[in-house]
Amino acid sequence: MNYEPRIIAFLCTWCSYTGADTAGIARMKSPANIRAIRVPCSGRVSPELVMRAFDQGADGVLVLGCHIGECHYDTGNHRAAKRLPILHALMQFAGLEAERFHLDWVSASEGERFSRIATEFTDAVRGLGPVSWRVGPGGWKAAAESLLPPDEEVPMPALDCAGKTDAIRAKAKELLTNGEVGCVIGYEVGPRGRTRPTFVYSAEEAGRLVWNPDVSNNLASYLPIKLKSKGKEAPKKVAVVVKPCDSRAVNVLLAENQFARDQVHVIGVTCEGVQDGGGNLQVRCQTCSERSPVVYDTLVGEVPADIHAGAITQSDRLESLPPRERMEFWLSEFDRCIRCYACRQACPMCNCPTCLYERDDSTFVGMGIGLNEKRTFHLGRAYHLAGRCVGCNECERACPMEIPISLLNQKLAGEIEKAFGHRAGLTVTPSPIVTILSGEYKEG
Amino acid sequence: MSKPNSARKRWLISQAELETWLDGLAQAQTLIAPRDISGVVLYHPVAKSDEIAAGFTRPVLSVKEVFFPPTERLLSIEKTGAEIHLNETLPEGQTTVFGVRPCDARGARLLDAVFLDTAPADPYYARRRENTTLIGLACKEMGPTCFCTSVGGAPDDPTGVDVMLYPAEGGYLAEAISDKGHALLADAGWPESVVGGAAFSGGEHFPVPEKGKWPEHFNNDYWMKMSERCLSCRACTYVCPTCRCFAVRDEVLGPGEFERIRCWDACTGENYRRVAGGHKPRAEKGERLRNRFFCKFYYYPEQYGLGSASACTGCGRCIEVCPAGVDITEVLMNLEKPA
Repeated sequence: MNYEPRIIAFLCTWCSYTGADTAGIARMKSPANIRAIRVPCSGRVSPELVMRAFDQGADGVLVLGCHIGECHYDTGNHRAAKRLPILHALMQFAGLEAERFHLDWVSASEGERFSRIATEFTDAVRGLGPVSWRVGPGGWKAAAESLLPPDEEVPMPALDCAGKTDAIRAKAKELLTNGEVGCVIGYEVGPRGRTRPTFVYSAEEAGRLVWNPDVSNNLASYLPIKLKSKGKEAPKKVAVVVKPCDSRAVNVLLAENQFARDQVHVIGVTCEGVQDGGGNLQVRCQTCSERSPVVYDTLVGEVPADIHAGAITQSDRLESLPPRERMEFWLSEFDRCIRCYACRQACPMCNCPTCLYERDDSTFVGMGIGLNEKRTFHLGRAYHLAGRCVGCNECERACPMEIPISLLNQKLAGEIEKAFGHRAGLTVTPSPIVTILSGEYKEG
Repeated sequence: MSKPNSARKRWLISQAELETWLDGLAQAQTLIAPRDISGVVLYHPVAKSDEIAAGFTRPVLSVKEVFFPPTERLLSIEKTGAEIHLNETLPEGQTTVFGVRPCDARGARLLDAVFLDTAPADPYYARRRENTTLIGLACKEMGPTCFCTSVGGAPDDPTGVDVMLYPAEGGYLAEAISDKGHALLADAGWPESVVGGAAFSGGEHFPVPEKGKWPEHFNNDYWMKMSERCLSCRACTYVCPTCRCFAVRDEVLGPGEFERIRCWDACTGENYRRVAGGHKPRAEKGERLRNRFFCKFYYYPEQYGLGSASACTGCGRCIEVCPAGVDITEVLMNLEKPA
C-alpha cells in the first residue's frame, strides 16, 4: 500500500517538542508522516487550529502537551484537556473517524513515549485510508431526503393563557409607572397574527403584551444590546419576559458579565411548551426539563406537571450511524446554508462584537459561501456554545433553510454534562471549558 | 390583470406532455426546477421531471441564485516564481429554469438593470443570463405573505420569462413570450391552440408610499421603533430576488494558488459599510433597515430609472423568513401614518 497519511502534530515546546528531539538523539524511529508544529503550550492549540488542519486536508491531527501538573504555565494543559476532547466529540459527530485525532502527554525526557505514540497514531490513521473531510472542487451531491426520520409529532396541549397575559401586563404597567424600568421586552401579536418580540416604553402601551403558545423568541438575546446602548434615551434598567429556557440564558449572560443583575427585572413565566408552525409542540419542548424559570424577580403562572417525557432524540439516532453516513447527513444539511447568520443573530449566547467567522482578517475560515466554509462556521459556532447553550433552539427556528443546528448543540451539551456535570445557566456559572479553577475534565 | 397576448402563439399541453418535454430538456442541458430538498423547496438541478416539487407557494430562495450565485469565482490566480497568471473563469453551459414565479422573473429583470444595462456589464452575470432560458409558471393563488399585486406585479404576469405556462383545464396553456421561447416551443411539436386561460383576478392591494414621498420619511422615528426587534441577520436580503450586494476577496487555495471570489453581502449585517478605523456609518439597526427599504423604494428606482416602479417584487419571502417578525407590508402601511 502506497498511501502515506499527512499528519499535523502540535507539539508543546517545553515538553513534547523536546521529547521528539530526545527520540531523535536516541536514534529511535518516528514516522516521517508527522509535520511538527511547535507551539508554546498545548493550551495554545485552539480548536479552530485543529479544525483548520482538517479543512486543509490533514489526514490526522496529534496534539501532545506536558503531563498534567507539569505545565510550564501551570494550567495551559488543563485547558487543552478540557477543550480538545469536546472538539473531538463534535468532529466525530460530524463524521470524522475517532482515530484521526489524538491528544496525549509527553515530557521532554520521554523520547521513547513520543516515538511510540507517533507510530501508533500514524499506523491507525494509515489503516483508515485518505481522509474525506475536505470537500473537493467537484462539490457535493446533497441527499434529497434527510437521513433521519422526521421528528415525532406531539400535539400542543390546549392552554389558558389569559391569566398569564393579564399578570404580565399588570407587572409591566406597574414597573413602567413607578419608573423602576425604562423598557419592558415582551411579546405582542403582530399583523398576520404572528407573535413576535416587542419593546414597551410606557404604561399605556402595556396592553400590547401577550402570552400565548407561540411565544418562541428568546428575548434574552436583546438584553446585551439594550443594556449596552449608550444613547440619551437608553434605559438604565429593563424588564424582560422569559420562559424557563430563556431564563437559563439570562444566567449565562450574567456569568459572562454582559450586564449586572440589578439592571434587569426578570418576569419569569412558567411554561408548558410552545408550538411550531403546524400546531405541534416544538421538538425542543418535548425533552425540556425546566418548566419553571431558574431566575426571576416576578413569577407568573403555576408550575405545570411534566407534560411530555423525552423520548429517543434525533441526536441519539444520528450517533448510531457509522461516521461516513453521519458526514453525509451533515454535508447534505450544511449544503443548504447560505451563511445568512440568522442562527447566530438569534442566539442569546452569540454576542461577540465581531464573530470570529466573519472577521475580515480571519484565517480560520474563508469568506466563500461554500460547503467547507459553511461546515467550519457551524461546527465552530457549536463548539463556542459548548457549556453555554441553553437549548432554546432559536438558531434552528430562525434558520430559513431548516438546518437541524440544534443537534450539534445537544450533542455538546450532553458531552459537557457527562464530563463536568454542568448544565448551562441553571446557576450563574460560566462554561467549564473556559474556566480553570473548577470542574476539571473526568476521564470517560 | 395581464391576459395571454393574442398576438403570441399558444399551445395547450397536458401534464404528461409537459413532463415528457421537461425530461427531454433535462437530457439536453441543465434543468433547474423547484425541488424539495429535505423539506425545503429550492431552485435546484433535476435529472427527471418527477423530482420537481408541486403544491407550494414559491421556493425559499429566489431565482437570483441561478444568475448571481452565493459564491462566484471571478479569477483563478497562479503564481510561479515572480510570474503571476490570471485566468478568467466564465461560467459555461446552457441552463433552463422551469417553474419561475412571476415575482422572480421580475426580480431578474431588476437585476439586469444593475448588472447588464449599466456599463460596464458584468460578464459573469451576462454569461449566465444569456445561457439561461426561463420557463415561467403562473401562480394559481397568492400565498399568505405575497403582495405582488400591490407593487405592480401579478401572479400571472408573463414579463421577463421566455415561455409562460398558465394552469388551464386539462393541463397548461403554454405561451411563447420571447424569441428564445418561441423557438423552444416550436421545437416541441405540439399543435397550436386558440384556447384562452383564465386570467388571475383578486389579490390584496394596499397603497405603497410614492417614490417622491420617501425622502421626507428619512428622519422618521418610525425606523428606530420598527427595527428594535431586528436581529441584524441577513436572511431577508439573501432570500430577496433583488438584493444584490456582494463582497470581493482573494482567497488562498494552496502554495502559489489563489482565487478571487465574490459572495453575497447584506446591508442588514452589522459590519457592512465599516470603514478603515472601525467607523460604521450605519451603526444602528434602524439605519440599516431604513437603508434596505430606501434601496427598494427610492435609491434603486432613482439610480436605475425605473420611474414609479420599485425594486420590490412583492414575493413576501422576507416576511416569511424573518425570525423576529419584521414585516415589509406593515412598514409600507405605517410609514405615512403620523407617529
